[in-house]
Amino acid sequence: MTSNDISEEELLQRTGQGDMRAFDRLYDALAPRMFGLLRQMLPDEREAEEVLQDGFAQLWEQARSFDSSRAQAFTWAVVIFRNRAIERMRMLGRRNRLVDAEVLSQTTLSAPDAATTADSRAASVLAAYQGLTKDQREILGSAFLKGLTHHVIADSTGVPLEAVKAQVRAGVRRLHDLLKGGDD
Amino acid sequence: MDEKYEELAALNALGMLESDEKRVLSGACLSDKELRELSVELEAAAAELARLVAPHEPPSDMQRRIRAKIRARGGPGLRLSPAAMLGTLGWLLAIGLGIATAWLWQERGRLANDLAAASKILGPAVAAAENHSGEVRSLESTLKNLQGDFDKKQAALTAALNEAQQKEAAARAETQRLVAAEEARKKHEAELKMRVVSLQSDVWEYRRSEMTLIWDGSRNQGVLLLEKMPSAEEGRDYQLWLSDPEKKRKPVSAGVVSVDEKGAAQIQFKASEPMGEAVKFSLTVEKKGGAESPSNTMVFKER
Repeated sequence: MTSNDISEEELLQRTGQGDMRAFDRLYDALAPRMFGLLRQMLPDEREAEEVLQDGFAQLWEQARSFDSSRAQAFTWAVVIFRNRAIERMRMLGRRNRLVDAEVLSQTTLSAPDAATTADSRAASVLAAYQGLTKDQREILGSAFLKGLTHHVIADSTGVPLEAVKAQVRAGVRRLHDLLKGGDD
Repeated sequence: MDEKYEELAALNALGMLESDEKRVLSGACLSDKELRELSVELEAAAAELARLVAPHEPPSDMQRRIRAKIRARGGPGLRLSPAAMLGTLGWLLAIGLGIATAWLWQERGRLANDLAAASKILGPAVAAAENHSGEVRSLESTLKNLQGDFDKKQAALTAALNEAQQKEAAARAETQRLVAAEEARKKHEAELKMRVVSLQSDVWEYRRSEMTLIWDGSRNQGVLLLEKMPSAEEGRDYQLWLSDPEKKRKPVSAGVVSVDEKGAAQIQFKASEPMGEAVKFSLTVEKKGGAESPSNTMVFKER
């Protein structure tokens, strides 16, 4: 929920109708979190800024296709911004570069400081994330924050490709189930 | 559900798929509703992980930059609302249509007059030009084809010529390299066979004497230099010998040597038969005119 009790979904729908004030308020609600994500994925701050610009321009153009009965505004936006960051990495030839295995093992997600986020769902997501095995957390964290492919993770860590794919499948599936309130 | 597609959906949720794998998943989703829904749900679940990333304030001018970008793209917000757009457009069209109609009516009359006059003047020339235009077009087409063929052949010949020139240059460079290598080899070989020998005598009377030999093994010949030698006794000569320890044969005479009044001599000599690389030199005192084999009056001996 954003200020004045208008949900992000509502703001996104109004944005889709060409409401620039709603777009501005949506920007205030989403930009710091999207920029935080892009700063993790792209090492260069200027690149992160460019992708943030492009992402919001795309969000403005595609907002009318948002369906609040099928998705949350936040996750809908995350998909847009991550895809743009991955596209940028692919364009710059970084997508298939090997990464130091130690760096990967240190790439983990944790709940942001409560003082810096008003996202009440973060605690539930953290609980679900901590419900994954250590290997699953490492692989999902690397893939999510660094935009790496399963091939690169396998080559960088020395874990067989099939094992990486199996961990991703099991991890994403379990995360999905835990977030829906189930266990297995 | 096929496990392979479920795996692709999970990988896709994290943006890990390459474009070919993505195409496979998209194709399967078209015909499998369950897979399509799962793919959307997994993507949303993975996107939730962004809630665990610490926020970071963008630069203060970012919002202005985004608005500028949207304006540059001509996004939806920059258009008038559909109703306003239709109303304004209608009035503009009506006014424009009125002005255009009046102007066109005036122009129509003027152009009709101009056309009639031009037809009178240009009529015959236009008819002749039309007759020839087909011919010209045909010639142009032929010429274009010929030009195309010529360009292709020229390009092929130029490529072949360049290739031949490159091969020739490479062959020339290789020849030069081989010649240089052969010369270096010969020089090295010659240097290996050239030897300088400097000897001191063990005999008291010849302690100040010096014997120096420059031996060219490749030509089987050499130069002998003697200095500070006492004169040989009456009826005797110095004689130079070459021996070949490897072949274990008798020493071979290289000739008798006469020294001048200062005790010096310089002679060129050639071995009467081929000597090995380990040739050794000695100088003896022999009867006048030389001996068949060396006596034991050794003056210099290389060991």
